[in-house]
Amino acid sequence: MTGALDGTRVLDISTTTAGAWCTRLLAALGADVVVVEGPSGHPLRAIAPFDATGSSIPAAYWLADKRSVTLDLDTPDGQATVRRLAARVDILVSSYRPSELAARGLTYADMATPALVMGHVTPHGMDGPLAEVPGNDLTDAARSGWASINGNLGREPLKPAAWGGSMCSGVAAAGAIVAALFHRDRHPGEGQEVDVGEVEVLAGMFAPALLRSVYANEPYGRRDSADSLGGPVPVKDGHFALTLSRAHFWRDAMNLLGLTDLAEDPRWGASFYRQQHRDEYSKRVTDAMSEWNKADLFEELAVRRVVAGPVLTMAELAANEHLRERGFWLKPEDDPDSPEMPGTPFKLSDTPLALHHAAPKPGAHTAEVLREMEASS
Amino acid sequence: MTPPPTAGPLHGTRGIVLTQAWAGNWCTALLGMMGADVIQVEFRGRLDSWRGDYSAPIMAGIRDLPTAEYSWNCNPLYNSVSLNKRCITLDLGTPEGVGVFRRLVVYADFVAENFSPRVLGNLGIDYDALAKIKPDIIVASLSAYGHDGPWANIPGIGGTIEPTAGQSALLGYVDGPPLNSGQMYPDPIAGLYGVLGIVSALHHRERTGRGQYVDLSMQESNLSIVGDAALEFTMNGTQRPRLANRHTTFAPHGIFGTLGDDRWVALACESEAQWSALCDVARHPEWRADPRFVTNAARKANEDALEAVISAWTAEADRDDLVARLIGAGVVAAPVLHSLEVAQDAHLRARGVVREVEHPEVGARTQSTLPMHFSRTPANIVRHAPLQGQHTYEVLDELLGMTSAEVDELVRLGVSGTGPPDGADLGAI
Repeated sequence: MTGALDGTRVLDISTTTAGAWCTRLLAALGADVVVVEGPSGHPLRAIAPFDATGSSIPAAYWLADKRSVTLDLDTPDGQATVRRLAARVDILVSSYRPSELAARGLTYADMATPALVMGHVTPHGMDGPLAEVPGNDLTDAARSGWASINGNLGREPLKPAAWGGSMCSGVAAAGAIVAALFHRDRHPGEGQEVDVGEVEVLAGMFAPALLRSVYANEPYGRRDSADSLGGPVPVKDGHFALTLSRAHFWRDAMNLLGLTDLAEDPRWGASFYRQQHRDEYSKRVTDAMSEWNKADLFEELAVRRVVAGPVLTMAELAANEHLRERGFWLKPEDDPDSPEMPGTPFKLSDTPLALHHAAPKPGAHTAEVLREMEASS
Repeated sequence: MTPPPTAGPLHGTRGIVLTQAWAGNWCTALLGMMGADVIQVEFRGRLDSWRGDYSAPIMAGIRDLPTAEYSWNCNPLYNSVSLNKRCITLDLGTPEGVGVFRRLVVYADFVAENFSPRVLGNLGIDYDALAKIKPDIIVASLSAYGHDGPWANIPGIGGTIEPTAGQSALLGYVDGPPLNSGQMYPDPIAGLYGVLGIVSALHHRERTGRGQYVDLSMQESNLSIVGDAALEFTMNGTQRPRLANRHTTFAPHGIFGTLGDDRWVALACESEAQWSALCDVARHPEWRADPRFVTNAARKANEDALEAVISAWTAEADRDDLVARLIGAGVVAAPVLHSLEVAQDAHLRARGVVREVEHPEVGARTQSTLPMHFSRTPANIVRHAPLQGQHTYEVLDELLGMTSAEVDELVRLGVSGTGPPDGADLGAI
């Protein structure tokens, strides 16, 4: 079986996590992705942590499944080569700001290829007052409101863990690009520009807090403390979140914890009532939970079909029998000696996603890709 | 700047969706904003938790509006993630309800749902059943742990997937316990991946005529978002510590307090030039020569001390003035905007992403819409979240040719309608 994007060619001139994750997903779907690296290598190769050989681990994840060509986009030759390569691909992905593209002669108009889908994934999008302002995963979280409600009241707001905002933007950009391909399927020859701003993706992910705040006409704040409904609380061997959303979850969990009065009183069945009166039960629930191990509590709640969240470490996830049985962890098909990598984020029954290749060495495919270009021109 | 309203890239496609809460609702709202005709089928006996509880009061600030009628139509959670849909109600626990649903699927390109895995099969409308009715149908399931494997039938929601996907262990203060984020962010992550899965399936179907099944596990999709930390474990055997706002590589990289209550600046230096510029903005040129801060590696090794001097400086500064000076000097910087500031943000409004949406019961309110811009197919038509059952008569007439008398009969039987079903225990649904 082949992927949904089998036969689709992608040229990636992006330099950011969001751009790299976007094209990594297109590759997982079957596209042939060629990533352009400057003479000093892709900037993501400088991101820690590093493995025993000194190679960037995040880059190994983000650049996997691509071919690499070395081109200097600050030279006319490099720019001309990108334009020639772009004429024979379906998708071009960029993270450059508008002025940076214009200065290099790499705008959509410069490509002069009407069927081309050009995806931009940038912190602030390709127009508007902030289009030329640099940003990153941290400022995305700040400007979108995302950070303002994350973390504890009285302490600094928190951005997402790892590169969450950038990664989500990469997912959104991949979705938008494939939607543009779908339009081109139905209207042959009609490419277009797709413009995804990272702040806007996070603002979209912030939509519920935003609208609640707008309805109430007051800012949505950070929590004053963690309780089991809001997030993880300590248990014997770690932390555990019991974010109960439905009446039967509450009833069955409280019975398991021996808090039968909380289980039986029907007022507590309504989630709005629980939210408003959490001070009345929070400490009792937390104390009862502290007597449990996370695996036992998870298992007992699972039997009762109650949502429950043991805080799992990466070691626990790597050993997790469920993910093993799902076949989540993958080795690149061409590198059986590779460490296992996190696998595909969803499954498609007719066009399975795959991890074909380990991340390339910088420029490993320069000659090959340029030869293909010459042969097709 | 805003082009005239036109349909988006998915114009001409239709989804009959059973999505609910955040992940599923937002996934299909995005598809609706991209131009698909998305028809949500609601099951009144199992009210969408994001419409709230039938017994819940309408929230303060809204309940006194003369137009505000039902709490389930005035819930900001539901209304924030349900733009550009139509809504019909059907009791899928009855043969009549399932019968109508199966007739509708004939006119669908995709079906999406985020029930627990057993539900669709129990209702007789899982992928295999629907593919018999419509062989090229695309069915997408967004579930907690996917549709097979030992955890398949364990329920989960964003607040429990964040811990089981490895995210909570990474989120938190350097000296603090694991945290969940301020809302249940695993949901919108699953929603974004759901969009990618469904549009990929639509593209494949367009090329081959073949439908397929999309099995999305919230756990797996969320673990992929922090996959670099997962790979750090499999390659180096180490669990990445909680970093708060710090970066694995660059320093400074953080959020610092400024003058005023709960006002913060985010700033980062990703090069020596940016650090040098920051020292100038701070009027502390001596930081440049300080051996603790002289290189990025030194700053990273002395990050506590670095953050202490930066905090002392920013504490005396006005947030917006400071951000302007940092950006002017080429430093990566931004204000930490709170929700009402986001609602007023000039950039997001100029881009058309944050805009007013008129709702029949709630009035015109500022909402966050589609974070994607298409030059040829702009996808800039925004319609309010549907009222429960708002489009039942319209859709059943349009797709199935049902007369209003026939739909009246479904309402009389309790198969359709609005509000709590007869005999419902309002507190316990």
